[in-house]
Parts: sequence; C-alpha cells; structure tokens
Amino acid sequence: MFSASHIVRRWTRRRALTLFAAALCLVLSSTAEARTLDTAHGEVEVPESPERIVTLYEGALDAALAAGIVPVGAVTTRGGDGVAGYIEAHLDALSPDARPAIVGVVRELNLEAVLAQRPDLILAAPQLSAEQYALLSRIAPTVVPATRPLAADNWQAEARLYGEALGRAAEVEAAIAELATRSAALAEALAAAGVNGSANLIRWMPQGPMVMSAQLFASGLIEAAGLEIGDAGLVREGGSHSDPLSLENLSRLDGDWLFLATLNAEGQEALDAARTSPAFARLPAVQAERVVPVDGQLWTSANGPLAAQAILDHLEAALLP
Amino acid sequence: MAGLAIGRAGPRGRPGLARIALALGGLLLLAALASLLLGAGEVGPARALAVLLGGGDEEARFVVGALRGPRTLIGIVVGVALGVAGALLQAVSRNPLAEPGLLGVSAGAAFAVALALWLGASAATLRIAVGQLGALVGCACVLSVVRLRGLGGDPVRLILAGATFTALLGSLTSLLLLFDQRSADEIRFWVIGSLAGRRLEDLLAVLPSLAVALGLTLWMARPLAALALGERVAAGLGHRPGRVRLVVVLVVALLVGAATAIAGPIAFVGLVVPFAARALAGPDIRRTLWLCMPLGPLMVLGADVTSRLLVAPSELPLGVLTALLGAPVLVAVVRARRLPTL
Repeated sequence: MFSASHIVRRWTRRRALTLFAAALCLVLSSTAEARTLDTAHGEVEVPESPERIVTLYEGALDAALAAGIVPVGAVTTRGGDGVAGYIEAHLDALSPDARPAIVGVVRELNLEAVLAQRPDLILAAPQLSAEQYALLSRIAPTVVPATRPLAADNWQAEARLYGEALGRAAEVEAAIAELATRSAALAEALAAAGVNGSANLIRWMPQGPMVMSAQLFASGLIEAAGLEIGDAGLVREGGSHSDPLSLENLSRLDGDWLFLATLNAEGQEALDAARTSPAFARLPAVQAERVVPVDGQLWTSANGPLAAQAILDHLEAALLP
Repeated sequence: MAGLAIGRAGPRGRPGLARIALALGGLLLLAALASLLLGAGEVGPARALAVLLGGGDEEARFVVGALRGPRTLIGIVVGVALGVAGALLQAVSRNPLAEPGLLGVSAGAAFAVALALWLGASAATLRIAVGQLGALVGCACVLSVVRLRGLGGDPVRLILAGATFTALLGSLTSLLLLFDQRSADEIRFWVIGSLAGRRLEDLLAVLPSLAVALGLTLWMARPLAALALGERVAAGLGHRPGRVRLVVVLVVALLVGAATAIAGPIAFVGLVVPFAARALAGPDIRRTLWLCMPLGPLMVLGADVTSRLLVAPSELPLGVLTALLGAPVLVAVVRARRLPTL
C-alpha cells in the first residue's frame, strides 16, 4: 500500500512542524495549571503531565501518537490481534523498543489488564458505557468525549479533547491543521489530473455488500479529496452502514469509484473473490477498473489525524495517475 | 423401483399418491416461477416475465438469468436433499424429531469447513468434500452416543444428544472464528444458511454425490420400510438391519453435507418436510420419500422468496425463515399427546 519509510519521512516533517507549534504554544500559555476537562461524564481533573496513559479507543491512540506520546496500554483494532498496521509504523518511529500492552478490544475491555498498567490517565471512546466508566474512573481519571450524531468530522473534536487531556493540545491542533492543508492540496492535484466523480465505500460479502455511511471518518476524507461520496440512500439515519444489500440491487451502487474495504490484509484477494460474482463484475466502477481495495482496519475502524494522513496517502497513490 | 408403491390408492381411504405428488409438483412449479419473478430488486414480475418469454431488457435478463435462475436451481436441489435426508434419518432412527440440523449433522459440516478454512484451505475447492466429511462425522458421533439400537424407545434422548453435540460444535466453531478473523469474514455469512450469492459451480460439484445418494435412497427404501416393522421382521424378510442403518446414515451425511456445503446450514427443512409428507401419505417410508422430493424444494423456495420480499432492498437469511416455519412444527410434534414412533 504505502511504505513505512514514506510515513516516517512524512512524520519527521510533521513533527518539526508540531514541535514548532508546541514551542509557540508554551510561550503563549506558560501558566498551565492542573487541568480540568469537560467530558461526557462531567468535569474531570487530569494530572499536570500524565505519564502512564492507557487508550481504550483507536482514535485516542492515534491522537496520542500524533501528539508524540506512546501509551502504555491500548486496545486492538477491529478484527485484529494488535494495533492497526498504520499505527505500527508510527510506533516503530516513536518507540522502537516499548509497545503499548494490549488491554482488550474496544467492546470488551480487560479491566485487570488496564489496572496492571497502573495508568494515571485513561482515554476512552465516546461509546463507553456508564458502568464501564464508573469502574475505569476508579482506576484513573478517565476522559470520554461526548457522543455526537454520526458525522465525518467528529474525530476532530475528540482528538482535541484527547490532546488537551495529554497536555498537548497544540500538537493535536497542528496535526489537524496540517491535515486540512494536505487534503486541500490533494483535492487540487486530483482536480488537475481530472480525477473526479462519485464514489461508494462498501464492504463486500458473497451475499451482497454493506454500504458504508457517507458520514464515516473515511467517507469525509474521500469527500475532502474531491470525490462525491454517497450511500445510495441505503444507510439508516445515524447508522454506520447498511444491511447487506441484495445482489439484485447492486445497480444502486452507481458511483464512478468503488472503495472496497476488507478486514483482511489481502485486499486484492477480496477483490478477486468479489469479481467471481457476476453481479459485482458488471458494476460501472468495476467495468471501468475504478475499484480501490482498502484496508478496513484503517478505513472503517480507525480514526484520528494519523489515520487520516494514512488514508490520504492511500488515496493519493490509488487515484493520482 | 418396484419397492415404491406409487399410484395405488393408499390405506384408510387416502387419495392416491400419484394425485398428491402431481398436485405438489404443480405447486413446486408455481414456487419456482415465483422465485424467478419476484425479488428484492427493481426488476418486478412483469419485466422478469418478459425475460422468460424470450424478451426483456438487459438488466432484467441479468437478474433473472444470473441471479434468480441459479438461486432457484440451488433451492430445488437443497430442498430435495434436506427433505429426503430428514425422512431417511427419521425412518432409520424411528424418531419423528430426528432432523439433520438437530442431530449435529449441519453443525459437523459447518465445523469441518471452519476448521479447513482455519488451516488455510482455499474455501471454494475443498468446501464440498470437507462439508460432507464433517456431516458424516457429526452424524456418527451423535448416533453412537445414544447407541442406535435403543433409539426407537427414546426419541427425546436422541434430540438431547444432538442438541448437546450441536452446541459443542457450535462453540468450537466460534472459537476457531475468534482465533482467525480472516476466516471469520469468509465464514460468518456461510454459517447462516442462504441461497443468495451461492455459485452454480458449487452446485455442479455436488451433483455426482447427490446422484449417488439418491440412487442409494431408492435402493434402501424397501429395507427401510421393512425395518419399520421391527428388527426381527426385517431380518426375517432377508434384510440386514445393521447394514441398512449404516448405508442410510452415509446417505444422510452425503445429502446434508452437500446441501450445507452449497447453501450453509438451513434448519428445520428436514423436520417439517417429512412431517408434512407423513400427514399427506401416511407413515410408509416408501410413500413419504416420493412426497419429500417436491415438498422439500417447495418449502425452501417458498421461504427464500419470502426472505427476499420482507426487508427489500436487503434480504433475510434463509435459515432464519425456515427456523420460523419449523419451530412451531417441532413444538407441535413434541406436544402431541403421544410421540409417534416410526
């Protein structure tokens, strides 16, 4: 997909930028006090400079790494045994020796594993249940962003909150700002190359595809790159994807581009499998060879500034002729 | 087959078997037609009918020819296999509750396929043989647990053993899926029976074993009917009960393994179809077997068409609908004042 060294190069450049921004910020607000954050569970006081951080959400892990902090504990990516592949590349760059311990999967946290890390700050997902919160907040201050209706840019507010909790608001802000510049540049390059039109993001299954919502994180990035993303009116309000669509209704997927997400590393294999279905083979995007197999861990599970950069990398490589 | 009493007026003034079979055949034809004409998509009955009459637009030709056509064929084959397998299993175990899905046969097939995928097999090629082998092993396990010999007296014990074994295999399958998310993706939808997106090539791959199984079935009908009269009578008529049972179990595994390999486990068809066949034609296995052949596809196609129409533009998994149809029948049989022994 894209090489690790590519990411690392980009990373160092960004770090220079963020360090600069951080220095600026430190000068401006050198009177930082014990911070109180406004979270989904009311005001939470977090330590001045947390050192042992456990992230219970992929977006939180992403934001922490973007701010230059390696958590001591993290959850796995969806459908994987460890953190997402793109996170690994950043970990290689940031802390080649120490890896975050895996403390469960998002929906099934191992509280004992969390406790064993003796965290002084826990960053959790907006969907964290009240019961889980009650337990976790007894282990360490737990920061949970407020839940919002599904929208493609929810991750930005979440990342900002995590950044504040980590005492690195400026770094996260800089990462988000850089992302906006990057996607604008990509959109310009794509427009100049004549790449435009509509797109669908789906997960393929033999019985029929699930259409992913246009309000997803990755959908927002596809849109930011200048393609028009639609869900063919199939995704219920607030849902992240449709029910598996009947093969008879595939003609509703009439986008010029088709992004095919799999939880497997073998995206090409999934594409080949899908091609054996006659209904898939006759889609306009398939006929025009405009199908982009994408890594579902990154595209439909992760979020955060680093994930966004990785997705834009992929978009650039796949779409720019 | 001389052993199959076709055409004669049945006992107790039942209508002739031929007439019932003819009526069921007509109904099946209607169901097949409905399966070709109705779907979750925008191609309605009128456009589909135009295709059947030789015309139609490109979209409709594709939907009818490449999607609904194979689906209908697979539904018919799966229905025949499951219906006949159910009747055989009920006859050989002398138990009206015996159903491939309840006896660990489907669970065995599903577990075997999951295991093969987990070990790295490519799904398409191995699935059929592995599914059949798993069905055979599953069936053999349950039957040996309860000791075939004592089954007639205690139908419920067989069902309990089957349910236990099914639960065991189900949890083992889940365990494998937890270990390996890749095969989980491939198999998650496979373990919910469905006719959508199944490939015609898979159907062709199982046809030989189905032909063998159906041939054996016809050969076994007469010994099975004798077995229903009791072990000694059957032996006195020159049959060897042990060998008959062995062959029948083999045939059931072939049929269910093939059906499960193409369409995934589809519950309760093997229970409901022989039940309906007995209600129509009486308990003689030589008569019910004939009726199971149109009744099985009738149930599968009926459920499949319904599954397409209920939640369009999506579809319900077929296994869900057959379970909805079958569960009440199971309850009815169990609640009957006296469990009929076959």
